[in-house]
Amino acid sequence: MGNKSRIKAKEKKGVTTAKVMAKHPMMSYDEAKKKGKKANFITSMVATVDGETVYEASTSQFLSKNPFVKFKFKGSNKGKKLVFTWTDLSGATRTDKKKIK
Amino acid sequence: MNRRKFLGLGLGLGVAAVMTPATLSATNFRDTKPGAWSGQNATAIDSSMKELYGTSATTEGKVKLKAPAIAENGAVVPVTISSKLAGKTVALFQDANPESLVAVFTVPANGVIDYSLRIKMAKTGKVVAVVEVDGKLYSASANVKVTAGGCGG
Repeated sequence: MGNKSRIKAKEKKGVTTAKVMAKHPMMSYDEAKKKGKKANFITSMVATVDGETVYEASTSQFLSKNPFVKFKFKGSNKGKKLVFTWTDLSGATRTDKKKIK
Repeated sequence: MNRRKFLGLGLGLGVAAVMTPATLSATNFRDTKPGAWSGQNATAIDSSMKELYGTSATTEGKVKLKAPAIAENGAVVPVTISSKLAGKTVALFQDANPESLVAVFTVPANGVIDYSLRIKMAKTGKVVAVVEVDGKLYSASANVKVTAGGCGG
């Protein structure tokens, strides 16, 4: 059971649709207090293709556990790798990549 | 799996992966606009928006916000924001949780504004999506009825 982000990216007619499910408990401050643990949740997500940013989000504690996000971007990217990185409150980061179909 | 063990694993992995993401030219809104995320101005949608954009005056329209009218599970409310505008940033607010700003997306040069994400809503409330185009704000809102609380309630 790892923390790998599950990425699916498909390009159709010059627009790539990417779906990413990151594995993260996304513990909000309220939940952490109730459980007596430290709050920790993803604070930022960035996706790049060939080093160019195609998606960028700053997020709060209110994303669901194991956050699922879907986004689109233009360009002919079939065959290229989509690199997805998230950073969380504790400073940890996680990067995963997947080829765009 | 034993929850304690799982959390221990998570922490271990976190410590091991200490790496400054140098490639991220991402404007991290959490760093640049801390007042919008937490603090006294973060609770209401209006003031949180002011913290983020400097104004809460928006024009309704040109933004599509899809959210379920009734969410059976407040822990997972799927929301989709789309717009044909050449927006620079997109922000999502809701008034059901203690802090109203949920997420801010920076739209890159070749981006298409069509973002979906799943959020938590502690109770029934309003979700507002804002697209910023050169300083002007366009918005759309939707009411979501939550039948089971989203914070483990």
